[in-house]
Amino acid sequence: MRELLRRYQFILLAIILVLVTVILYSYNLRQKTATTFFERAVLTFSAPFQSTVDGVVDSVTGMWGNYLWLVDVQQQNQLLKRENLDLHSEVQQTQEILQQNGRLRKLLAFVDELDRPALPAQVIGEDAGNWSRTILIDKGTQAELNNGLPVVAAQGVVGRIIKVAPNSARVLLITDASSAVAALIQRTRTRGIVRGRGNNLSIEYALRDADIRPGDLLVTSGMGGVFPKGLPLGVVKTVEKDQFGLFQRVSAMPTVDFSHLEEVMVIVGEDDR
Amino acid sequence: MRGFFLFLAAGIFFALLQSSVFPLFLSPNWRPNLILLLILYLGLSENLSRALVAGLLLGAIQDSFCGPSLGLYVSVYLIIILVTRALIEQLNIESPPMLLLLVAGGTLLQNLLIGFYLTLFAETASVLHILLPAIPKQLFTNLVFAAILFFLLLRFQRFLGYRSGLAGLISQSKHHGA
Repeated sequence: MRELLRRYQFILLAIILVLVTVILYSYNLRQKTATTFFERAVLTFSAPFQSTVDGVVDSVTGMWGNYLWLVDVQQQNQLLKRENLDLHSEVQQTQEILQQNGRLRKLLAFVDELDRPALPAQVIGEDAGNWSRTILIDKGTQAELNNGLPVVAAQGVVGRIIKVAPNSARVLLITDASSAVAALIQRTRTRGIVRGRGNNLSIEYALRDADIRPGDLLVTSGMGGVFPKGLPLGVVKTVEKDQFGLFQRVSAMPTVDFSHLEEVMVIVGEDDR
Repeated sequence: MRGFFLFLAAGIFFALLQSSVFPLFLSPNWRPNLILLLILYLGLSENLSRALVAGLLLGAIQDSFCGPSLGLYVSVYLIIILVTRALIEQLNIESPPMLLLLVAGGTLLQNLLIGFYLTLFAETASVLHILLPAIPKQLFTNLVFAAILFFLLLRFQRFLGYRSGLAGLISQSKHHGA
């Protein structure tokens, strides 16, 4: 027996280890909303680095735009150029602040319509994999954020919080394959479930004879209790009906441009209405 | 032991790069998975127990930086290390082209396993719509970055110190036994 065990030591070890990791994964799938100690430690440790990297990249991009084109200036114009540079830099900064102000105003106006308290947050990181769609924001349990809170941008729904650390939180985007949001076609009130497909969305369980057309706006239905009712999710792109089958195949483009997401709002309070 | 911590530090650095720097310049499908390259190299160059422990920790780190559930990359990387160890006897791992072939195989195996796990356990079959079109781009970027990393490793090997059993380094083979 011992000889047999020794002979197949590697295979046995491999099988046991794979089984243990599969069980660990299945267990964590059930505990989806819980943030483990390990994950909290990694998020806590990485958040300052990610904020720093974000800041450094912003400064480098700013320097590239404002300073590097002046490298070859003539000596006699140096003073004048420097003055010009300072002014230019100030203008650039003002423009940046104006743009940010505009974005935040839109975001605030959007959140004001909801009549629910919301907390602004900065996007400081993205997902390290290519198949899942999550972002990291710079607010966490210290700002009283919890798992499951909805996150929005001025254009519509971004996603919901799935992991929280003291100063950061991970947000599952609506374009992630594991995200499912109860939705309505705004024009016809047809119900469906919006699932993520990487860069776009698909609408499941939309009945075959329901009136859905390209260009229709998809909004949250408020069912499920995560997202408030009526928030924009996406715009219908294609509608396909098979010869047979109960449902039609509908794809949509999200209203939020996730590749240029900088500021978001976390809806923290209950519906006042 | 120093090498073990070096692998972990490199893993954390790569995870930060993948989550904070690459997204600024590359779309998700064109972002290389540097941790996978590290896992493959770990499987080739470290002893089994050390490779397994480091692989499990690197998987947990990647899980914390990506996706909703802890355990997916832990399991996927464990299988990749075990497969690499099983192949190590059969392959000429001193050859850089063979290492690049391993990177291609590792990328395909990783996508296959992630697709399998997510479809079977998490019931998110729609992930296949994201994974499948991304595979050619992933293969290309992983190979390009692997070639760059191997080139840099060869260039700076003298500063890192020569080690026996370090895979895929021609200059190491030349110096080996000299």
